[in-house]
Amino acid sequence: MKQLLLLCAFFGFLNWNVISSEDTLADNYTEVEVKDGGTVVGNVKYMGDLTTLSLNLYAEWELPEISKTATEKLIVSMVNHGLKYAVVSITDITHGKKKVIPTIHPIIDQQRNTFIPHVTAIISGTAIDILNGDEELHTVHTRTIKNQPFNLGTTYKQRISKTFEYPETIKLTCDLHKKSYAWIVVLDNPYFDITDKNGYFEICDIPPGTYKFQVWHEELGKLEKEVKINPKETSNIEFIYSQY
Amino acid sequence: MKHKALLNKVGLWSATAAASAALVIGIAPITAKALTIPTEVTEEGKNTYKKYCSPCHGEEGKGDGPLARSMLPKPRDFTRGAYKFRTTPSGSLPTDEDMYRTISYGVPNSTMIPWDILTEEQRTSVIPLLKSFSEAFEVRKPEAPVDVGLEVRPTEKTVADGKKIYEEKLECWKCHGVEGRGDGPSAAEQEDDFGFPIKPFDFTTGKFKGGNSSRDVYLRFTTGLNGTPMPSFAKELTDEQRWYLTHYVISLIKPEETSK
Repeated sequence: MKQLLLLCAFFGFLNWNVISSEDTLADNYTEVEVKDGGTVVGNVKYMGDLTTLSLNLYAEWELPEISKTATEKLIVSMVNHGLKYAVVSITDITHGKKKVIPTIHPIIDQQRNTFIPHVTAIISGTAIDILNGDEELHTVHTRTIKNQPFNLGTTYKQRISKTFEYPETIKLTCDLHKKSYAWIVVLDNPYFDITDKNGYFEICDIPPGTYKFQVWHEELGKLEKEVKINPKETSNIEFIYSQY
Repeated sequence: MKHKALLNKVGLWSATAAASAALVIGIAPITAKALTIPTEVTEEGKNTYKKYCSPCHGEEGKGDGPLARSMLPKPRDFTRGAYKFRTTPSGSLPTDEDMYRTISYGVPNSTMIPWDILTEEQRTSVIPLLKSFSEAFEVRKPEAPVDVGLEVRPTEKTVADGKKIYEEKLECWKCHGVEGRGDGPSAAEQEDDFGFPIKPFDFTTGKFKGGNSSRDVYLRFTTGLNGTPMPSFAKELTDEQRWYLTHYVISLIKPEETSK
């Protein structure tokens, strides 16, 4: 009996060891119940001169894809200068709502040599399904350091599932169609959003306090802003990229 | 008389025994010793790296040594942990044995020579140092090596099936060319993860970078070449199909090109 107890204690200790080592691996974000959280609704705008954007001069030419310049980098709404595919996130939040890892995997599809959607923002630990919707060979290639990189050939209707464990901004490319690429932004807290076609975003259930909000765009870079969140209130913020 | 015969017999037997023992010792293969690879960075490793590796790969393993400028393909930048020739799945880090293999055998068609001129201790001693250059080895562990089963027997049919995969299913010719000369329509625009231009491999030369055996060629389709546009086809092809493709790729070797 004594031996059994000792054994139990030993395994318990082992178990505790495993759990504690996992804890140290995890980031410094703690999940709490947010009762009277505030909401941030905002808009990301590009006010630069749209006529100065680079044109694809070789669009009609039969040149290798690499000689042509990509033109889908900057999608700006003509109505309100809203910028599409900008990722807004809170960078310095240490506690907040529960990290919910979606059970239905987000999808990135390759259709007519284009990745759809162009930018995907996920929370760390989420798996993404990468599809090939074209009747030809594509490759999906990432160059990450912390997350395991991959480079896989995919044929029609292939579905590849990949999990991203660490926060990183990842470029996903196809080596056979150099023009097409997508971004996967992996974040370590659940407070983020991608702007829609008019540049709008919304982040809710933020515990009251002052936080650093960051917006990232592949072409225009990063902007930061400090915002004070009051309980049960909706604050409006605006990020403006002035010139390209 | 009896004694003499006995003595003779004993003499004969002992002579035979001695001769066969000598033979056995002579024939006995020098069995490969299990490789002992140090886990910590040692002084010997640092010295060996500095003397033999850093002129090309740079003091900090960034692939920017003084000799690197004039080289193409460029010496490997170890900071990303992307190693081409592995037995582990796509994207995974290499095992220590994979690294030891590349150091010992070199990479044909490049400036990486086989470093078998160094002692085994010297070659193994640099491995922990190479790993220390990349953050990736702290975060991730190499996955288990791919299981290479028994090779399918090469026949005319397997080569023909391999050709179908090369030309129709995977369209390998887009980069590697119809004849396997590395001159496909997409060949010119390929670049590696570090932004340097990279040429798809010319199979006709027969000097495969990761080794010439059919097992080596099979592994390249299965694991891909990390850091390059060459993907893994582990999901796309069955085990047998990969052997078919191996046989076809090997059949593309042109004997007259190999002597060049």
